[in-house]
Amino acid sequence: MSALSAETILDEPMPVGLTVNGRAVRVRVEPRTHLGDLVRDHLDLTGTHLGCEHGVCGACTVLLDGEPARACLTFAGSCEGASVTTIEGLDADEIAGELRTAFNREHALQCGYCTPGMLVAARDLVLRLPEPDERRIRAGLSGNLCRCTGYVGIVRAVRGVIADRRARGIPARGAGAERGLGPVGARLGAAAAARTPLATAGAASAAAGAAPALAQVDELATDFRPAQSFAQDFTVSHPPEAVFALFGDVAAVAACLPGAVLTARPAPDRVEGGLEVRIGPIKALFRGRARIERDEAARSGRILGAGSDAGGRSATEGEIRYRVGPGEAPGSARVELAVGYTLKGPLAQFGRPGLVRDLAGRLTAEFARNLEARLSGRAAPATAPGLNPLRLLLDLVRARWAAWRGRP
Amino acid sequence: MKPAPFAFERPRDLAALLGRLAEAEGPAKLIAGGQSLGPMLNLRLVEPGLVIDITGIPELRAARLDGGTLVLGACVTHADIEDGRVPDVTGGAMARVASAIAYRPVRNRGTVGGSLVHADPAADWVTALTALSAEVEIAGRSGRRRLALEDFVTGALDVALEPGEVLAAVRVPALPPSAAWGYVKHCAKLGEFAHAIGAVRIDAAAGTGRAVIGAIERAPLLIADARPLFGGRIGADFAGAFDPAAAEAALRAAGMADAVDRHVHVTVLARAVAQAARPSAGPAPTATGRLSEAA
Repeated sequence: MSALSAETILDEPMPVGLTVNGRAVRVRVEPRTHLGDLVRDHLDLTGTHLGCEHGVCGACTVLLDGEPARACLTFAGSCEGASVTTIEGLDADEIAGELRTAFNREHALQCGYCTPGMLVAARDLVLRLPEPDERRIRAGLSGNLCRCTGYVGIVRAVRGVIADRRARGIPARGAGAERGLGPVGARLGAAAAARTPLATAGAASAAAGAAPALAQVDELATDFRPAQSFAQDFTVSHPPEAVFALFGDVAAVAACLPGAVLTARPAPDRVEGGLEVRIGPIKALFRGRARIERDEAARSGRILGAGSDAGGRSATEGEIRYRVGPGEAPGSARVELAVGYTLKGPLAQFGRPGLVRDLAGRLTAEFARNLEARLSGRAAPATAPGLNPLRLLLDLVRARWAAWRGRP
Repeated sequence: MKPAPFAFERPRDLAALLGRLAEAEGPAKLIAGGQSLGPMLNLRLVEPGLVIDITGIPELRAARLDGGTLVLGACVTHADIEDGRVPDVTGGAMARVASAIAYRPVRNRGTVGGSLVHADPAADWVTALTALSAEVEIAGRSGRRRLALEDFVTGALDVALEPGEVLAAVRVPALPPSAAWGYVKHCAKLGEFAHAIGAVRIDAAAGTGRAVIGAIERAPLLIADARPLFGGRIGADFAGAFDPAAAEAALRAAGMADAVDRHVHVTVLARAVAQAARPSAGPAPTATGRLSEAA
């Protein structure tokens, strides 16, 4: 199936039925549409604001079945049948009304961008907190970012509403024992709105995995200074000279690196190729070039490489310095690796050096096993594609999207 | 910040899900609450051709007691645990962990099973449930198997699920009344992923202890027999016997090269030990920074 037809199928809108602000609606949306885009683009309910779109800022917070949830992290098909309340649906809500008055009184907003999400989160606190405890209010609002007004007025407003309601004898709500288990807004047993032909998934990945253009790295820097570096070592039960000799065979080394592909060797000390990197569900295919230096006398070498991922959004430069020496046991070799790399582009924003080291450690162990097998004349054990130490070379990608949740 | 196109399905039961996984050709990704996968999709770090929503499956949204063991379906949320909608077998320990995960709107949809499968080393459940000796129950077409959580989490963002398998439930053994529990995480901002986590489960009467150091950017470091952290013996005076040098050595052996990192993790573990030594279970874990600075 061609990429074009796959895209057509994946983009095909699916019907989603919801109750929004008390009104039953049925819309047709692409499966990738999140609830924030659904209410804004399809229902013109633009009071729900989109800020970070990865769950950190809280601007898109809406009520799903009466409970606050991130609209940007809730896909439309996941809440088929759910009841959604946006800020527009809180016009006649008693608590929201009291909060609006208090926000006015305490000057709890300037630009107002965070205010819809802030009000939804504040309303939840008014319902749940037994007392106007400033610490708990601040903790409860920590998932809603305000970048202009500051939180003093907001906290004062929420405190005032809680204090006032408790003084009027209105208690906090219980823990919601009547609520069923599982994510709010998710209905049990509801069948998929969008059943797609079996082949689409594979076709889509083929489209996504199309070979990227080779990184334009005309001359690899000779004075490369890595932003991150770490060391690894491993032992092989073969003599140092045999191990070092194998390191001189680029094709053999690449064969020990699952996920690595050599595509060209324009000069004895130059290679071009690709490397598939897989970290959890994240996959990236890097293409690039490397220059190889060897010092026969010292049994050491240096591999300097640069590349970019599909689409050229992220670029990396890295080097591996290695030295092969005698191991502790007679006839064995100890290989010391010093890895340095620099990562630029979107992936760098996620990059966590510790995660790279964790992965590199696992990859080095696998590389050592494959090397051992090859030196012993056995076929390299089958390994999962995508794991691979050349990755050390281009090394990079540590996606750590997640940390953002807390690091706006 | 919009996901790449994907197809979306929502099977109604586990058999349908397992069947679908067996026949899917391309990369399919399961989604539960979507609080970890959602950002990755929006940022296009993950571009699966097919997303399968598992939250419509009744079995995954149940909780029950099996003897003294709590069995949580994979789609039970942090808020379900925080609010006490599931049985408590840990003297409130799990509820306190749950209450400090991210933010309430995230806890209302984020699930315990999703958190474990995602296996972010800085997330709470991988460390807390390892310290509580939890097991995962994995369903596949050929049947079910169980794994200790420390064997399930094989690395950062990496777990021992085979193709076609699904994490169906988490089994948490009861924390006996004689056991003390301490759980401390260090965050610079409330709700963010932790920079360091320490968890200890200590039974002074039995002379046993289990300690876990988390948020170390690999699988949590489990010290299944924590006696070396307390001078070789765990007694009623365990808090005073805590040996930071032993914890430091364990971290060094685990490959944590940075002395400052080791210091932070050892300090947080020491706080968890101190919390366990207090008669009450201690306050809910919160950011160790000062909240008043957030204004």
